[in-house]
Amino acid sequence: MPTTDRQLTDVDRVVLTRVMDLIIPPAGDLPGAGGLGLAERLERASVRYGRLRSGLLTVLDAMSLDIASRIEGGFAALDEERQIAAITTVESDLPIQFSEFVELVYETYYTDSRVYERIGWAGRPPQPEGFDLEPWDPAILEKVRKREPFWREVSQVGYALR
Amino acid sequence: MNEASTPDQEEQTIIAPEITTDGQSASNVADILIVGAGASGAAVAWRLAQAGFSVVCLEQGRWINPAFYPTTEQNWEILGRHEWNWDPNKRGNPEDYPVNDSESDITPLMFAAVGGSTIHWTAHTPRFHPSDFRVKTLDGVADDWPLTYDDLDPYYDMNDMMMGCSGINGDPAVPPRSPRPMPPIPLGKDGEHMAAAFDRLGWHWWPSDNYVNSVPYKGRDACNYCGPVGFGCTRKAKSSTDVNYWPEAIRLGAVIKTHARVSEITIGADGRATGANYLDRAGNVHHQAARSVVMAGNGIGTPRLLLMSKSDAHPDGLLNSSGLVGKNLMFHPYAMTTGLIPDLSETWKGPMGNILMSQEFYETDPHRDFVRGYAYQLNRGSGPLFTALGGAHQPVEWGAGHHEDFAERFGHNITLAGIGEDLPEEHNTVTLDEQLTDSSGLPAPKINYTLSENSRSMMDHSIKSATTVLQEAGATRIMANPLLRGGGWHLMGTARMGDDPERSVVDKWCQAHDADNVFIVDGSVFVTAGAVNPTPTLQAIALRAADYIAHERDDLKG
Repeated sequence: MPTTDRQLTDVDRVVLTRVMDLIIPPAGDLPGAGGLGLAERLERASVRYGRLRSGLLTVLDAMSLDIASRIEGGFAALDEERQIAAITTVESDLPIQFSEFVELVYETYYTDSRVYERIGWAGRPPQPEGFDLEPWDPAILEKVRKREPFWREVSQVGYALR
Repeated sequence: MNEASTPDQEEQTIIAPEITTDGQSASNVADILIVGAGASGAAVAWRLAQAGFSVVCLEQGRWINPAFYPTTEQNWEILGRHEWNWDPNKRGNPEDYPVNDSESDITPLMFAAVGGSTIHWTAHTPRFHPSDFRVKTLDGVADDWPLTYDDLDPYYDMNDMMMGCSGINGDPAVPPRSPRPMPPIPLGKDGEHMAAAFDRLGWHWWPSDNYVNSVPYKGRDACNYCGPVGFGCTRKAKSSTDVNYWPEAIRLGAVIKTHARVSEITIGADGRATGANYLDRAGNVHHQAARSVVMAGNGIGTPRLLLMSKSDAHPDGLLNSSGLVGKNLMFHPYAMTTGLIPDLSETWKGPMGNILMSQEFYETDPHRDFVRGYAYQLNRGSGPLFTALGGAHQPVEWGAGHHEDFAERFGHNITLAGIGEDLPEEHNTVTLDEQLTDSSGLPAPKINYTLSENSRSMMDHSIKSATTVLQEAGATRIMANPLLRGGGWHLMGTARMGDDPERSVVDKWCQAHDADNVFIVDGSVFVTAGAVNPTPTLQAIALRAADYIAHERDDLKG
């Protein structure tokens, strides 16, 4: 388990950006999570929310220790297929830390205004505007109102069933 | 020094030098000392202040200005995952205590503040059924309660008026009752779509009772359907006791001391309570003397404090001669079944929970392989981050299929949450952890909880039936979570009520068998759990206990 106060190196940041792109790939004209330049935000979030930082550091360490990565001269030197295989191995070997890492990636990506625009989300806080709902229509209860009561009646003596 | 605080004062609070109040003058002795300012503590405070008792409440949390709830922030979903998380272990605020849940199938959720967990609840407020109080007689399991639905009925009504209930009468699944003070919250297109599916199957459904304003009520705004009702309501449209009971109680003279963490209920030579010791934010110890103590710290906090309050008269913890303090912990197990329905869109619009409920499978049916039953709550989808993280299910897949998976879920997801009646089992416990402590160094609670076979069967049935409804509604993909681990909203049973002092901790008036000036009014006293959200029931029980004190315990008034 890495210490959570370790700082990311430049190599870490290159790997992180690439891994983020593979976690959330490009969609249409929108780059992937790494290509959007979100790695720095993710790093800051991991500092703020310490319980997730260990996941980030563990995953990055595991990537650097991956056998294929070591043979080829680093994760970034692998082709995409082997990069995905390396990530899958980390997911399998370190499921808790990997899920924390994915949580960080998703937190960063799905709170970005460019992503909001792509998915059709208003991109504003829920308040104060709220949303509209169609007015309540009591006619919708027509069928269920016709049903006989079916709760179990409990009298003080005998507790008879209805 | 911890002094009476109000919402307006809280923002300007400056910590002054602390003064330990050794030696109490008569004027410093409260008639009623309440521990915890949440759902039930607030109700008792209001009712007893109204009856002329002097009331002091010690609350380890603070007043929260609704203007600062996260739903006004752009990053509200991130705040909801961290600073406003429902799980105190993830939230980790200084006023929280951690809970060791490593040996529990369900993670307990709670909130420390004036208003307690009503700050972050979704305010879904159905009542227990009459049968819920008679499970031993009817079904031969667990125990009957020492009170009945009829005993609580007037207090349910009183609470509905104070909290503000939106709903409509005529539900064939429940007894007739007084008119709801407000009409129902609209179902929305998604709710109407699901209601039609229930209708086609001939299965029961009904608009949920909510303590959410469908119209302006008692000076509070109507809901504007923003969605994430579980992170506090800036409009005060969702009811929480900091905006209804407490302002009234304070107007009547009740006093709240915030940032006051109770460490021990103090006991006199006669074995009766004399008040409580508590710590302020700086760690100074104070004593609040009282003629009576009312415990309202929830089904985990209350047994924790009782177990911490050992004395010569109560060597196994306060009120524990039966050995049942901390035992029979009940949650409501939740099985979550989510359908992805292409015909629905923007399922994030409207209150996240409480659209409608179904009690088709609520009562015992001997043809099923479990006793008692469950209800469904229909829950909406949420924002993009919560959707990506999966909600009750696995997160959206990473990699090449990510965007397709996300698009299939976002705005099209709707969930039937099966909430089952848990039955009491003595091996499900709250104890004091030997290592883990809160920020004051006080022992944290440890939870041991295993889901029973009966509850497992019940939850499995709920998934099958929910799948039927969702398919009827046009779901093209269904995801099921057989037990929502992070679903421990309802904490019950750990200081149960009963007539027999050897089999219960308090009597039917919530008065302790072991000390006649100590009362417990939170979910701890539940004998069984029902299959609905417990807050209206525990508040009704609290109001009834308050009326007992007001009418029968004049000796507690100075």
